[in-house]
Amino acid sequence: MKKFLAILKREYIQRVRAKMFILSTILLPAVMALFGIVPALVLSIDAGDPMRVAVMDQTGKLYTRLEAALANDEPAAASEQTDQVRSMPEMPARIFRLEQVPAIGPDAGAQRDRLEERLQNKEIDGYLILPPDFMQQGNAEFFNNNPGDLFSNRVLRSALTRAVREQRLIEAKVDPGTRQGLFQPIQLQSVKIGDAGEAHNAGESFALVFGVGFIMYLAILMYGQIILGAVIEEKETRIAEILFSSVKPFTLMMGKLVGVSLVALTQLAIWGTAFSAFALYGVSLAKARGLKFNIPGVPFVYYVYFALFFLLGYFIYATIYALVGSMVTTPQEGGQLAMPIILILVVSFYLFLPVSRSPDSSFSFWVSMVPFSAPVAMPVRIVTQTPPFWQIALSLLIGFGTVIGIMWIASRIYRVGMLMYGKRASIPEALRWARQA
Amino acid sequence: MTTDITVQLDRVSKSFGDFTAVKELSLTVRAGRVFGLLGPNGAGKTTTIRMIVNITAPDTGTIQLFGGKIDAAIQDRIGYLPEERGLYRRMKIADQLRFFAELKNMSRNEIEKRIDEWLARVKLSEWKNKRSMELSKGMQQKIQFLTAVLHDPDLLILDEPFSGLDPINVELMKEIVLDLKRAGKTIIFSTHQMEVAERICDDICLLNRSQKVLAGSLRELKSSFGRNSVAVRCEGGDGVLDDPALVSKLVRHADEAQALLAQGADAQVLLRRLIDSGARIGKFEMVEPSLNDIFITKVSEHA
Repeated sequence: MKKFLAILKREYIQRVRAKMFILSTILLPAVMALFGIVPALVLSIDAGDPMRVAVMDQTGKLYTRLEAALANDEPAAASEQTDQVRSMPEMPARIFRLEQVPAIGPDAGAQRDRLEERLQNKEIDGYLILPPDFMQQGNAEFFNNNPGDLFSNRVLRSALTRAVREQRLIEAKVDPGTRQGLFQPIQLQSVKIGDAGEAHNAGESFALVFGVGFIMYLAILMYGQIILGAVIEEKETRIAEILFSSVKPFTLMMGKLVGVSLVALTQLAIWGTAFSAFALYGVSLAKARGLKFNIPGVPFVYYVYFALFFLLGYFIYATIYALVGSMVTTPQEGGQLAMPIILILVVSFYLFLPVSRSPDSSFSFWVSMVPFSAPVAMPVRIVTQTPPFWQIALSLLIGFGTVIGIMWIASRIYRVGMLMYGKRASIPEALRWARQA
Repeated sequence: MTTDITVQLDRVSKSFGDFTAVKELSLTVRAGRVFGLLGPNGAGKTTTIRMIVNITAPDTGTIQLFGGKIDAAIQDRIGYLPEERGLYRRMKIADQLRFFAELKNMSRNEIEKRIDEWLARVKLSEWKNKRSMELSKGMQQKIQFLTAVLHDPDLLILDEPFSGLDPINVELMKEIVLDLKRAGKTIIFSTHQMEVAERICDDICLLNRSQKVLAGSLRELKSSFGRNSVAVRCEGGDGVLDDPALVSKLVRHADEAQALLAQGADAQVLLRRLIDSGARIGKFEMVEPSLNDIFITKVSEHA
């Protein structure tokens, strides 16, 4: 145990002290901040004056409605606009300044020429022509010197659509109360009935599972290669034989695995803290603007399960990297051999969907028992239709048992490979080595 | 825990697939002696050592260390410097030494004290906080040596310890090895350089093609072989020295030759023949056979 700790400590301290580690740990939140804050700042820059638009309303009914629709972007707008626009950070309010130009009568053509002239002279930034049959045909023309300004176009179109709809409803003699009711967006909340009959929000748990799964995926991609390198290190530097006169290969491998994993957790914890800080900052900003936020209502025991299955998933794949490391002599070779691991990982990740659709099926049961897919499948089952406790426990048991088993095999292959002054082992050779040694 | 015998191998065999690395090897390493495990490359020296330090297990036969079977506690009493050795490139020297000592279950305070002592001994004190990649190859080798002795092992196993060292450092290391022997440590010394072994070993075991060729005290072995070698320095008389009836093997050095007498040949006869042939003799001396000569004789007998 003391030797295991010595190896773990060396692995941890050497890595945490490395410049690369410090740099990447600091850099990621910095980049995150950059990407989170800078676009918001840029977008909130008030690029000049509002857009001056002259409106020639030949229908004679829409100008005031359009003005109202533009002034009051929400709530009706919310359901109209695409998600993309909505997800953009807060836009500077009222980017349009409208001006009505008379449009009735025979001099419409002349008016139009005058508008064109004003546009050329930059007295206005654009003019909108609503033809007399606009209420029926729905074709309007917007002339401006910056047709590439998609955002303004979209806002204008959406406001115009609302104005027209409002007007049509009025003409259809729909009373104002009904009109308002028509645009009231509905709320759909997915509620799961728990064992004890208490209700909580399944959607939020689901998002959390997805988040945990995704972080696991990233952690494996980032640290798998590092574990592979760590296992090869003593072969490359030819220290292995010195070590093996003091420790068992299994102790060495476990020490390395846990050491590197603690480095990974350290880094993730730092990033997590930084991320939470940003998120809290964001929430407080949003709250200041009067938006409501809920802390996800997920039962505490779920967090425990998520943590356990996160660790399981991480270790399962990390040990496979260690196994690959035990067979090869250089990280380059290892990289090639590790490709199938990524594939298994990706496939397991996509099991998310079928399992969430029918969490009770026997398919779901089996994939949540197989160690490679359990880390994703079991949490999905837990939040959708919590399986009996024995299934969860069994899944964890099988999983962590597999971790130990793989490490044991890896350490045997490692030892024999070292004794052979090995070139890279073929798979059958590796199997034979695991049996002898 | 002191017995006269530190390591005992009894009919130990080990093979890898079809290849037999060690065959029916029995040997005894006595406490407080320098034991030379000798033989050409591929003779099975390294495999034998690996079985002694418990890196690999024999297929058949038994190995006893300090009178018992090897376990973790006994492993901690061994210091091993393998032929294939390295250091962590980016780790500071003091950190590496501490790490290797911790793996031998040494106490913290003891470690710090001994790191300073030993670095001073090999004249590398000022490198204590440097990374090993900044050291020259020779310096790294000395540090590797320290990883084997730092925890004060009772049994020290050195596999080709001097290869690649300059003569000054070879002398330094040899002194350290002999000091350790004086302090009562047992040392197993493996090499294919017979001349080196000849100068520091008390006992030897010669291996060739996975088998023991001969073993015993170096002194006794040499005297049992008798003085059947002659160091000759002379002008002329070449034909006589090349006569296979008299000389079985002739090695010419810069200004003298070493002649191994043929079976049943008499040195007196050789001398007379040389004089008769008109050679001018500068030196004619009966010498002990070198370990190398013994080895070659023995191996050719077996072949």
